[in-house]
Amino acid sequence: MIETPMVPSIQGYLVVSMLLFAIGLAAVLVRRNAIAVLMGIELMLNAANLNFVAFWRYHGGQPMEGQVFAIVVITLAAAEAAVALAIILSVYRRFRTVNVDQINLMKG
Amino acid sequence: MASLWHAFLDGSFLYPFAFIVFALGTLVPAAMVVVSRNIVHSALWLLASLASVAGLYLLLGAELLAAIQILVYCGGIVVLFLFAIMLTPGVGHADVQVHNRQTFWGLLVALVFAGVAMHLLRDETWGWEPVANLNDVTGRLAGALLGNYALAFEAASVILLVAMVGAIVIVRAEPGE
Repeated sequence: MIETPMVPSIQGYLVVSMLLFAIGLAAVLVRRNAIAVLMGIELMLNAANLNFVAFWRYHGGQPMEGQVFAIVVITLAAAEAAVALAIILSVYRRFRTVNVDQINLMKG
Repeated sequence: MASLWHAFLDGSFLYPFAFIVFALGTLVPAAMVVVSRNIVHSALWLLASLASVAGLYLLLGAELLAAIQILVYCGGIVVLFLFAIMLTPGVGHADVQVHNRQTFWGLLVALVFAGVAMHLLRDETWGWEPVANLNDVTGRLAGALLGNYALAFEAASVILLVAMVGAIVIVRAEPGE
């Protein structure tokens, strides 16, 4: 009988983070609505954050770099979401749509 | 407190159970964000996914980060998304086509990425133990943020200010409108 480890290894967290990143990538590539594309970006940022915290827990020892970096990423994600949604609203006022495949002003 | 909680949790059968619950609670709603036809439903699924990520942070011993995750993502960013959805009427609900024409290739790219990353993860041997010191995590994090990493902390605050001013300027109505 194989003894199941009670504390899972870092691999579980890495697999979750990797799948979360792949799902976010799919959202960015597949969705038409620019707001949904932004949601995919948020999912990918969360996957990166999960990796930071997992590596802090399993490789960290004393220092706190992993968590500090995660906090910086959360801050930047908040700033990015605010600016991107402002741009989306501005685009909506001009084109009356936020579907990324209908906004083709720069297409030659 | 935190170390007591983890001393109980780490040896317990609850840890794998809680991990599986939070992992599925992260991934299933995230997949629903992609496939959901209603953009408001997508935002609510995103809320569930981000809250479960906070649960994973708790399991990893990062309590402050879990609280920040709930406050910033669930309380701030998802609400911002919902506001943006409400301010772009006619796009969200009446849309018959929510996925673009490159659906097949997009999904293929995501699947190939997942396959390659899974392959690399499987070949790697991570024999690591959870070694991080869980005593007074929040206090040491505060010390790091205002000590060694004060520059990053201040830069982040300046970036937030600039982003806020920029967002206001971008959405402000033109004088002629």
